[in-house]
Amino acid sequence: MKTLTLGIPSKGRLMEQAQQLIESAGYKIERIGSDRGYRGLLVGADDVEVAFLSASDIASALKSGEIDAGITGEDLLREKIAPDDTAPADVALRLNFGPANVVVAVPDFWLDVAQMSDLDEVAQQFYATQGRRLRVATKYMNLTRRFFAAKGVTGYRIVESLGATEGAPAAGSAELIVDITTSGATLTANHLKILDDGLILKSCAVLACRKASESDPRLTDFNSALSRKLQS
Amino acid sequence: MIAAGRTAKERESLAHQNNAIMAVLERAGFEQIAPDIIQPADIFLERSGEDIRARTFVFSDPDGNELCLRPDLTVPACRFHLSHAADAAKEARYSYLGPAFRFPDEKLSPQEFTQAGLEWFGASDAVAAEARMLKLAISALEAAGLSNLKVTIGDVGLFAALLADTPMPDRWRRRLKHQFWRPQAFKALLQSFTDGGSKGRTSISDVIDSIGKQKATDAAQSWMDRHDLPQQGNRSLSDVAARLAEKLADRSEAALPKTASAVLESYLALEGGAEDMAAKLAGIKGGVNFATASAAYQQRLTAMEEQGLNPKRFHFSANFGREIEYYTGFVFQVEAKGIAVAGGGRYDDMLSDLGASSRIPATGFAIHTERVARALA
Repeated sequence: MKTLTLGIPSKGRLMEQAQQLIESAGYKIERIGSDRGYRGLLVGADDVEVAFLSASDIASALKSGEIDAGITGEDLLREKIAPDDTAPADVALRLNFGPANVVVAVPDFWLDVAQMSDLDEVAQQFYATQGRRLRVATKYMNLTRRFFAAKGVTGYRIVESLGATEGAPAAGSAELIVDITTSGATLTANHLKILDDGLILKSCAVLACRKASESDPRLTDFNSALSRKLQS
Repeated sequence: MIAAGRTAKERESLAHQNNAIMAVLERAGFEQIAPDIIQPADIFLERSGEDIRARTFVFSDPDGNELCLRPDLTVPACRFHLSHAADAAKEARYSYLGPAFRFPDEKLSPQEFTQAGLEWFGASDAVAAEARMLKLAISALEAAGLSNLKVTIGDVGLFAALLADTPMPDRWRRRLKHQFWRPQAFKALLQSFTDGGSKGRTSISDVIDSIGKQKATDAAQSWMDRHDLPQQGNRSLSDVAARLAEKLADRSEAALPKTASAVLESYLALEGGAEDMAAKLAGIKGGVNFATASAAYQQRLTAMEEQGLNPKRFHFSANFGREIEYYTGFVFQVEAKGIAVAGGGRYDDMLSDLGASSRIPATGFAIHTERVARALA
């Protein structure tokens, strides 16, 4: 039997909540070796290794096949892997923690913009009058491209932002943002508003599996144990 | 394992084929230039937006400037022209042969490929230039050894003319024109106009209510003062207010008559033999602009015959050309054995977009040389 590898977040609230859920479902995570604690075993399953990785690296490792399953944010998973027929991995179970929405937000000052179709018109006008494209600050380059294309919005540019995205419009480095929000309070504080149809993804923590491994009994057992716990 | 590069024999055979293609273009007076392979990414991104980034090799230099490997040779040839020509509006004829680079969109298409083609700037007789260009594309493909070519033509100028003739608020026309390139969004937008525009409440309806009888700029200013909003996002208050005023006007706008949208839809459904189209175009209830564009279509067919082409064998599709946003008029594609081997058209806005001081007529086409080789195999 092939050793399976399960990716678990290595830090933060996501790590705490993932470990708590796994342990309450009857498994135990045991750190092993001299590998500075980045490897472990899933006690309660046969031959399942645990890799402690950042949530973003878990999404990448699912794509590349370095791990067979993992717990990460749906936003990060969808950013790395488009949900289509050729996707190498997909959501197996939605977990009840880490809720957050990925949204399109524009300045409050844009009183004339309520929907993505307004944004498209403004993008055209902006290019006609200023000779450059509207800039969208985000760390979600792929989610943004996919969503904007589906809504027929073109003529924008992405400015990659790796932190404090919500400050980009005030700083003048972008006109609008695509970012993750829980309560919307940070957006409001930065004088930004979410577009009426600007919800890209209602994200939460997920257990995701490689398609090649998803029917492995060790993973289906793990999945049902977590699922039972979530419903109790 | 996928072959990493060409063998001596493959290289020589492709070079031989491409020499035959280039000889036709150079004999016709198109001097062969060599535009830069590495281009500033900005020009491509500002023109085409994010769509192109997903297909283009973009990278940064040590100073953080974004560069790219050219995804085609049209924009590089335009930049060549603007940087070399003393008078950009004066007629210029260029040909080129060289590599272009794209992330493959289908598994079999290579990420580096060789394009041969021409760009013809500032030609005064539009239809004659278009017919000549098509003739050269076909002659070049035949010189490479292809036969039984299938030619599809279109003309995005016909639609622009018909839209200009359709009575509706200018802002609706502007939006339809913009979405022309995205058939799904276009259809939905047209539907919303025949349904009387979007009359439902949105998150900005209260702002629009507040305009009332005052000027939209005053209403917007007082809304901002009342809510203590900073002016973010690099737009002016007057731009914002102008769109609010349009939104207010939209509320009392009559729906687009179904007959008007039916005329647009019946045009877009046109498809068939290029010569039969003249009669079909006459059956579309357009106005003076559409009549002018239809006359140009007919003149173009005549010009093609003068070039020794047989437009009876060409196929016309009103939808053809809707995937590349920079075309402004005539468009064509040539297929051999079901493989699209060449394509081109008119793009009169490009040189002025890239910095020329006036609108300069521009036509051109590119031949996919590896696909020609595949069709010959």
